[in-house]
Amino acid sequence: MRVTKGAKIAAGSALLALGVAACGGGSGSSGGGGSNPRTATGTVYIRGCEPQTGFVPGNINETCGGTVNDFVYSKLVKYNPDTAAPELDQAASIDTTDNKVWTIKLKPGLKWSDGTPVTAKNYVDSWNYTAYSPNAQIGSSWFADIVGFDKVNTADPDGPDGPKQAPKPETDKLAGLEVVDDTTFKVTLAAPTAVFRTKLGYITFAPLPEAFFKDPKGFASNPVTNGPFKFVKWDHNSQIVVAANPDYAGVEKPKVKQIVYKMYKDDDAAYADLVSNNLDFTELIPPSALAGDKWKTDLGDRAIEGQQGVIQTVSFPLFDKEFGGNADFRKAISLAVDRKTITDKIFNKGRVPLDSWVSPIVEGYKAGSCGEFCTYDPVKAKDYLAKAKAAGYTPPKEFPIWYNGDSAHKEWVDAMANSINQALGADAGFTVVGRSMPTFDEFRSVITEHKIKGMFRTGWQMDYPHIEDFLNPLVKTGASSNDGLYSNKALDEKLHEADIATDQNQSVSLYQEAEAMLAQDMPTIPLWSYGLQAGTSKWVTGVKVTPFGELDPLSIAIKEA
Amino acid sequence: MGRYTIRRLLQLIPVLLGTTFLINYMVWQLPGDPFAGRCGQRPCPDSYVSAMRAQFGLDQPILLQYWQFLKNMLSGNLGVDFNQVPVVTQLADAWPITIRLALLAVAIEAVIGISAGVLSGLKRGGFIDNVVTISTLFLLSLPVFVTGFLLQWLLGVQFQIITPTVSDEAPIMELIVPAFVLASLNMAFTARLTRTSIVENRRSDYVRTAIAKGLTNRRVVGVHLLRNSLIPVLTFLGTEVGSLMSGAIITEGIFNIHGIGGLLYRAITGQDYTIVVPIASLLVLVYLVSNLLVDLLYGVLDPRIRYE
Repeated sequence: MRVTKGAKIAAGSALLALGVAACGGGSGSSGGGGSNPRTATGTVYIRGCEPQTGFVPGNINETCGGTVNDFVYSKLVKYNPDTAAPELDQAASIDTTDNKVWTIKLKPGLKWSDGTPVTAKNYVDSWNYTAYSPNAQIGSSWFADIVGFDKVNTADPDGPDGPKQAPKPETDKLAGLEVVDDTTFKVTLAAPTAVFRTKLGYITFAPLPEAFFKDPKGFASNPVTNGPFKFVKWDHNSQIVVAANPDYAGVEKPKVKQIVYKMYKDDDAAYADLVSNNLDFTELIPPSALAGDKWKTDLGDRAIEGQQGVIQTVSFPLFDKEFGGNADFRKAISLAVDRKTITDKIFNKGRVPLDSWVSPIVEGYKAGSCGEFCTYDPVKAKDYLAKAKAAGYTPPKEFPIWYNGDSAHKEWVDAMANSINQALGADAGFTVVGRSMPTFDEFRSVITEHKIKGMFRTGWQMDYPHIEDFLNPLVKTGASSNDGLYSNKALDEKLHEADIATDQNQSVSLYQEAEAMLAQDMPTIPLWSYGLQAGTSKWVTGVKVTPFGELDPLSIAIKEA
Repeated sequence: MGRYTIRRLLQLIPVLLGTTFLINYMVWQLPGDPFAGRCGQRPCPDSYVSAMRAQFGLDQPILLQYWQFLKNMLSGNLGVDFNQVPVVTQLADAWPITIRLALLAVAIEAVIGISAGVLSGLKRGGFIDNVVTISTLFLLSLPVFVTGFLLQWLLGVQFQIITPTVSDEAPIMELIVPAFVLASLNMAFTARLTRTSIVENRRSDYVRTAIAKGLTNRRVVGVHLLRNSLIPVLTFLGTEVGSLMSGAIITEGIFNIHGIGGLLYRAITGQDYTIVVPIASLLVLVYLVSNLLVDLLYGVLDPRIRYE
């Protein structure tokens, strides 16, 4: 009797346990017990979003497309996922003596996913195609350094709004590109550019196979690629599937068979899926989970923290007398922003106060180049405001900080406005207010047309991890993203000197000197640098996130049972 | 009845023309260049902006653009969106999901709402009536996203009975919870509407006559009382179908359902009129047709209503 009863109880509790386990694991994709449902298929699911353009590397300029394109295309150079340092990838060597003529040799045995070899010609053809203006590629300006760019890329004389059309370029081949043999090509730049090697890891510099030129339109949605993963399918607005490329020649091979780039409209939905282990990776933890560090308790050791090369700044319209202010006024504003409290309270320390114009994770970053002016000091702020007024500048009664209302900027802009108003006191003679424009499109239109009345938020996401990327495009006279139309001859000269310096280290220190000059004029106010918050499911391991805030596709692996 | 239907259908034409023109015009009037934001902090190259404008006819005058749109709409060729993806396939992917979700929501709304309303209306002031009144008050005061997040967190994350989000194929089983969330608010409306109607009609002459004739309670309620009481409810549900077809942006977002709402939202924020305009036009059509159906159903419910 005893034995039977015991057996019964044992059997009963075993059944009960099974039932509980089945309930616990009953979330659709997961099997019961401790087995890993990902092992059977070798597939992992990561958060994605619908790319704006297809798989043509020269035509991409946003994160949704950039991330997934980085999975399938290898470039000459790649960035170390830990240190952001550039390393050779498809290139066996990149040699130069004067930073002007570069000889690039490819590694032997590289293959496209259709089996054809990757040749020097593929690189040259791809770069020519992107640079040629009638092809209307978004990335065309990346090749402006190369000799002969003005012959293949012609500007519209009166801009896209005017009735005139751009003249047809003389030729469709960059004079500065020369194929030497199957695996070697030569690049001649118009002027020495020390940072050229670092730039080569940017997606626009990826090669394109012969197949592309036969049918560019079709290729965009069904590409042949050379990266660690190859394209499988794209269900618009729902998912992109990429599979490990068996021919991939890199040393480090993909550890999973497939990655499903699952599109989410809402970060909260992706997060809910991550917490319940239906999604294996997201690099966007929603604000609701960041509040009070809830995500760390939710995820435990599945939480990933780091830094990424994105900075937030506020720019002044220097072309506008009323809102441009003078240097002392801009310093007063900068001194009145309590960066630490804002990053602590509003971003839960998810962002780091900046004391320079360069992201802390890139080559050439120098702490404290903004120095005293980026440190909260209400007394000094008042001093500088008095100086500014003494020099003849009267700020308008109401000074707006503009932002686009379609992303989460309201909280920090309002906090920044409060901080400034409190620090400068009631007798400052003006109040700072946060103002939004409905969409990013509208916001950018008003900025690029130079019609903005007030300070405006500017952010910069690095293209490649180098100090140069935070200076040349942003503060050089006439630079593409110099939204405030800042112009300083001495600074331009210093930047030019740095550009053409043949010695890497010397070039970097020249850039640093140029950066230090910004502190005199304060054309933009550095605020903070973005931290990185990501998370994984319990099914995967080894996950690394690059300084670009993307998953390193080679790192992700499925956990053994 | 036939002539009435034809007349109503003919009326659709001027309404459609007017609304589509207005939609086109308003999209055209939106501030900001749709291609200015596509390159992030960098301005897009002129050659790219010119090529895109030329491709989508943005360099043409508005009347010409509208004419082009009408031609394309009638020939069923909606072209591609700003991402160069065919609009038709995107609509074909999203509509079935939205329709499934909307019908499921309306069904839940009708079944639970009407039965709760009838039960509480028949026993006014009774226990059930109080329960229904309080629970509908509760549902009415909860915004959809609260109900949505709560159910997702409770059932999806905490108890893991459902997956927190709906898979790409969106089978009916996975749509039940989102449909319930979507229906929750209007379920309460339906219940209250039915209840008032029932309470009112219970005291009417024809019900008294029916009871006096000695009909069973079931017949009195089921045939005489209910049919007459449903007219206002039906009007409500009819317009509801229309608004649900336009997608439930919030609910679709919470449960990551790839329906019309999300598509529309993405297109509006990206100023992608190639998607906004066809969807809006189709929605106009859906509204007009569902209103027509409701009007025709009145005649079925109440024989006194006749259309000539």
